[in-house]
Amino acid sequence: MIWHITKRELYDHLNSLRFAFTMVLLLILMIVNAIGYLGEYKAQSAAYQKKVSASSDKMRSNADSLYNLLIAGPGTLYKKPSALSFCASSGEAFIPESADGVSDRSAMLPTRFSFKAMWRMEYPQSNPNLWNIMPDYTNVDWSDIVSVVLSLVAILFTFDAISSEQEHGTLRLILSNSVSRGTVLISKFLAALITISIPFFMAALINLFLLYTSGSISFGLSEWGRLGVIVLIALVYVSIFLALGLLISSRVSNSSTSLTILLLIWTVWVVLLPSTLGATTSGLQPTMTSDEFNARWQSLYQNLDAQYIRRRHDDKIPSREIPATEGTLFWAKYIAEDAKRSESLNEEHLNAQIAQIQLARSITRISPASSVQYAIESLAGTGFTRHVQFLAHVRRYADEFMAFLIETDRADPDSPNAIGPKEGTSQKPVRFESIPKFEDRISFGGAYNAAATDLLLLLLFFVVLFAGAFLSFLRIDV
Amino acid sequence: MLLILIRRELLANLMTFRFLVAMVVTLSLVVANTVVLIADYERRLTSYSTAAQQHSQEVSNASTYSRIKILVDRPPNPLSIFNAGLDRRLGNSINFRHALVPTLWDTESHSADNPFLNLFSSVDLILIFQVILSLLALLFAHDAIAGEREAGTLRLTMANPVSRPVILLAKYISAMACLMLPVIMSLLLVLILFSISGSILLSGDDWLRIGGILLISIIYLSAFYLIGLLTSVITRRAATALMLSMVIWSTLVLIYPSLSVFAVNRLSDTSSHLESAYREIEQVWEDFERERMDFLRNDAVEGEDRDFNVFGAGTWSAPHISDPITLKYSKAETCSRSIKPNAELLVPHVKAYFQFSEPRRIRAAERTWQIRQKTLDQVHIRKADLAKNLMRFSPAAMYDFATEAWAGTDFHGIDDFITTVQQYRQTIIDYFYDKAAFSSRQWFATDPGNVNLSDFPQFSYHRADISTSTKHASGDIACLLLINIVLFMTTFLIFMRQEV
Repeated sequence: MIWHITKRELYDHLNSLRFAFTMVLLLILMIVNAIGYLGEYKAQSAAYQKKVSASSDKMRSNADSLYNLLIAGPGTLYKKPSALSFCASSGEAFIPESADGVSDRSAMLPTRFSFKAMWRMEYPQSNPNLWNIMPDYTNVDWSDIVSVVLSLVAILFTFDAISSEQEHGTLRLILSNSVSRGTVLISKFLAALITISIPFFMAALINLFLLYTSGSISFGLSEWGRLGVIVLIALVYVSIFLALGLLISSRVSNSSTSLTILLLIWTVWVVLLPSTLGATTSGLQPTMTSDEFNARWQSLYQNLDAQYIRRRHDDKIPSREIPATEGTLFWAKYIAEDAKRSESLNEEHLNAQIAQIQLARSITRISPASSVQYAIESLAGTGFTRHVQFLAHVRRYADEFMAFLIETDRADPDSPNAIGPKEGTSQKPVRFESIPKFEDRISFGGAYNAAATDLLLLLLFFVVLFAGAFLSFLRIDV
Repeated sequence: MLLILIRRELLANLMTFRFLVAMVVTLSLVVANTVVLIADYERRLTSYSTAAQQHSQEVSNASTYSRIKILVDRPPNPLSIFNAGLDRRLGNSINFRHALVPTLWDTESHSADNPFLNLFSSVDLILIFQVILSLLALLFAHDAIAGEREAGTLRLTMANPVSRPVILLAKYISAMACLMLPVIMSLLLVLILFSISGSILLSGDDWLRIGGILLISIIYLSAFYLIGLLTSVITRRAATALMLSMVIWSTLVLIYPSLSVFAVNRLSDTSSHLESAYREIEQVWEDFERERMDFLRNDAVEGEDRDFNVFGAGTWSAPHISDPITLKYSKAETCSRSIKPNAELLVPHVKAYFQFSEPRRIRAAERTWQIRQKTLDQVHIRKADLAKNLMRFSPAAMYDFATEAWAGTDFHGIDDFITTVQQYRQTIIDYFYDKAAFSSRQWFATDPGNVNLSDFPQFSYHRADISTSTKHASGDIACLLLINIVLFMTTFLIFMRQEV
């Protein structure tokens, strides 16, 4: 019986004006998206490879002595571009693509000796939007198409599902057959879901076909898997709005009123809340301003200077004696401290920024439009979640690199093993192959985990709304 | 008769549920956002005033003329609360020496707190009006004719001695009155919040600008009401009319603007322009460098090094900036050192050197600027203009641009600031010439004591007056008015010839 009603509804929908509109709109958007990203991934990968090899050449030239490696650090670490960036890349423009493992004070440290500063991790703080004079609008990628267009379409297909049948009296006719109300509701839901899936799948396939045949992307198994999950998430998201449409449609007897209410809810929930809440709640947990950060920076160096520089320390002279003299150890400690403190300040600054964004993001999840955006982003391997994962990789690698330096220095019998000053560090060349290299990868476990929260949240919304629609339809007077 | 109809329509509109909901939603969003935006503005204002104070201090601390580094800040615009435009986004601080003509692409930000915040799109009051109130206009309009036709009341009204234009006009006037209500109430609430916060001081010009924003809001809403009315006239059922107008609305307000920006962003590639311009600029500076070296070589005094065998302790630096992406390129030479006691005889040569090199440096900087401006215009400004012109097919975008122009947060507003900074640079160079600074000892030497900068020109910036803003807004306003007229005429003609 379900199939019977579904079929009837389906024919109805497929012949309607809104179906034609959905089809045309989705096709246009998806084709524009494909054209926009036509050579994008290839260009991105080529640029990434170029930068990585430049960075590794630099490291190779520094490998002529362990001391040089200690000063120069691993160099700039780049984030690997994702093959699925056409799915979600709105945020990419505002997220740095690298982290710097370098020594910033390439100048000398303020001591009597010509000590150079040790490398430390730094994170780009500049605002990439500073010179962007383009009008402020969102990208046309999968996540935006799904979050705005599909939800609107879902409403357009369900606003009159029940109210118009009530208006025309056909609801009474259907219910006079031996059909349970639940069946009617579920079949209406299924019919709308199938109707929307048809143009969505078609548009998505054409999009992928264009990208694939032009050779701009090459998909592995995992990319297909992630794309599959993205489509699944899109369907769950559509279901939320179908359930919402059915709920309102069964509460209101007039279809025009039902559409009015739905549109107001949709505008606030999907269009306005994500941006408004994002801007509002980021004020709840303000981070250090650049002035505060600079003040912290100053005080940090004043502390360090007071401890090591102000007093003359005439007796502390670095030398190459083995075992390390007190002087060598003293300055080694100073140089290590200098790097460690500035790195931990950088970390703290970065963590505060991340915490601020994460709080704002979790509050904007009140709107399923944000949830779906975040879920698609994490599955596509772009956006903020991915950046946080990248930073975790970077930190792990930084530790590994430093451990490697210390170990190699220990293995050198001619070094005093007081890493930091030139006198205390091994000068021997390092075999380039043995240095750990940074290799960024998009971890799928992480992507799925990050998306799982959002997916569950979307399911929760769906269950609540569908249960509401079910109850209100059961109690309706025909 | 018109009055009776207007009164009836007004009541019918005001008593509806949708009006109530839209009103509540608009006002609560406006209040919540204004509070946040005011706090944000205050933060930017404090950050601006500390930065400005600190920077002017830094200038007056310079020990010699050549050490002077000018730091200039852009004050935040209070009307950015209405339309943020580029005011919050673009850099608000520039530092430069006489060897660089500052442009928009040399700006930095003195209040860069969290770069990730850009992930959330910025909100302003115009966005709320743009989305919610246009929707409300369509909700009012969709059943104006179609609904009455369905209910049969249209026929009843026509049975009285009322002409069709009067019916249409009554509907239009009363709906516009209802639509103006949330706009005016929101504006009043915003002004109340302004006066409570006390940090936002509006000048007489600003009141006119807010008036302009009100005016353009009404024209914008009228355009959307007429779109709704047109669909209501041509369709049989109110629900169909609403659906059709929704399709039009979502395309015009949400989809089309993004689509055009995306297309322009993706499909234009201009990197080759940059490369050739960068080479040209490098050439300019190579020429300068050659002239400079020639001068040193033909100099009567031996020793082309930076010391001239003259200087004792102090600092000397040659900051060299080059960036192939923004085409920023400059080579300066700053010096503040003492003169060795036995080298007094050689000082005239150093003076002659700087008198030779600095005017040429300034000329090189100006040539660089000409090349730079031409190229960056082509690369960035044309692209943005193309995107804007494409977007202008949507009334929502026109509304956005017109309010941006009124608020002074559009590109012209920022450009105006940059022009002022460039004029300020000219003033400083004139000041240097006046003081014969290049050929003076105080250009490089610290021994006469710190240079006296008490009459150094101060930077001051006032936003362009309202006539400029009106000029930039007028195109969009005219277009919106034209759309209104065309829509009204079409609706009128169709309605006149329709069977009821």
